[in-house]
Amino acid sequence: MKIGTFVRATGIGLILLFAVAPILVLILAAFDEGRFFRFPPRGLSMRWFIAAFESAEYRASVTRSVVVASLATVISVGLGGLAALGLVRGRPPGQAYLEALILAPLALPLVVWAIAFLQVLSYSGLGGTLFGLILAHVIITLPIAMRVILATFTRIDPDLEAAARSLGATPVRAFLRTTLPLARGGIAGAAALSFLVSFNDVVVSTFVAGAGWVTFPVRLYAQLRGEGIDPITLAIGAMIVGVIIVGAIATELWPRRRGR
Amino acid sequence: MRSPREAGGGTSLSPTLSLLFIAPAAILVLAAFGLPFLLLLALSLASPVEGSLVPDMSNPTLAAYSRILGDGFYLRTLATTLAMSLATAAGCLALALPLAHWLARRAGRARRVLTAIVLLPLACGALLPTLGLVHLLGPLGVVNGTLRGLGLIASPLPLLGTQLGIVIGLIQAFLPFAVLPILAVLDRTPPVIEEAAITLGATPARLWVRIILPLAWPGLLAGGLLVFCSALTAFVTPQIVGQGKVATFAMLAYQQALQVLDWPFASALAVTMLAALALAAVVTFSLARLRP
Repeated sequence: MKIGTFVRATGIGLILLFAVAPILVLILAAFDEGRFFRFPPRGLSMRWFIAAFESAEYRASVTRSVVVASLATVISVGLGGLAALGLVRGRPPGQAYLEALILAPLALPLVVWAIAFLQVLSYSGLGGTLFGLILAHVIITLPIAMRVILATFTRIDPDLEAAARSLGATPVRAFLRTTLPLARGGIAGAAALSFLVSFNDVVVSTFVAGAGWVTFPVRLYAQLRGEGIDPITLAIGAMIVGVIIVGAIATELWPRRRGR
Repeated sequence: MRSPREAGGGTSLSPTLSLLFIAPAAILVLAAFGLPFLLLLALSLASPVEGSLVPDMSNPTLAAYSRILGDGFYLRTLATTLAMSLATAAGCLALALPLAHWLARRAGRARRVLTAIVLLPLACGALLPTLGLVHLLGPLGVVNGTLRGLGLIASPLPLLGTQLGIVIGLIQAFLPFAVLPILAVLDRTPPVIEEAAITLGATPARLWVRIILPLAWPGLLAGGLLVFCSALTAFVTPQIVGQGKVATFAMLAYQQALQVLDWPFASALAVTMLAALALAAVVTFSLARLRP
């Protein structure tokens, strides 16, 4: 039995290694000092990270990604939160259909939609505009934001709000002082997830982004298809992965208020 | 325990007010997502106009579809793509089942950290893992460098630019899609079932075939369908890992939409993909009744 346990743990370890290998290699390659990564690396250096900060072009594309992702996140969390509230607290006619409609972009293939959306945008004169790009990003982040916030609202005990109201609070005030503070973590999670999905999106953006709004993933994809890998993009990629890992660790270690 | 959603404790909104809350999101998705989807079929029947992006919609034609069905190239590419998607789904499930089963038996921080490791590539989007993958599988990459260092191979294995490399890349990209549904199903099954089987003398092989596999079956189907659909419509990983040497169906649609600018044909390719996905869903739902 002991040997069986050891074999299983090794097998699971190998599967986990397989899963994260591309990310680990990305980080290693970013520190390779050569222009073309080779394994084992000949020397490690920070030069591509320094070059990344010095490159105005890459800085601009990352900034564009941040702007697009921020706008998409604000809109998605706002509209998604409002819709989640309507679904949790109201009995609108066709409730299940409305929920399924807003969640539909999660279930249907985005490439197929992007091919259609590209044409609709173009025919309505919005092709290649920032508006079109933001709209596309909102479509992919809104269902994620709504789903997370909906799950959060559903878990919060409505009796707390009832108690606040029985103590004389108006409905709006009762919501703002009991349910909303309890939902803060879930709303922050919805925002983080929306931002991540929008920031990393290449599938939809590559169809919709115009020449004026080339985000970092779109720029990277074009470069990978054409001229090959620029080591600066490895450094930027490694930094993005670093931010994601630090964010995840911070969330895990954040002191949680236990109990209700 | 009553579900908070059913309980009457919270402030409830009138149907009109709740509709007002839902309307902005619903109208946006309907207009920007639903409408283009519905228009796709019509767009695929238009005929392209030379020198213009706006096609002629006045006399619908099936020309694009007869081109897909009549040309061996498109059908061959479709067959290749379906085969690679099946291989990806099978590979993901083979890795995801033991992984999810193992995760389902952990608890607390260990489980959260391990799950986060599994989900990390997903959180990094489609491109960054692919960027690492090129250096993992390339002629001078980690796999070939290690094998050569160990003296196992003389010349590098061709992994980039091959179907095998693409399937490895797709398995890595979509593994979380297979792990999560299986994990969700196994979480709902009490561990005492397996303990009882072991107490009653089940061998490990029998335990997996007779107990764990049937328990995980709905999760395997859901995960398999999700991975298959994602692999079928993927174009980023096949393009980068395949180095343009292997054509997949979604790549063709991408080229027609953004490089050739033949939008009616791109639309027809997209509709064909959608039909293949619908077929896959039907097959999966009929498999659901064949629970082992």
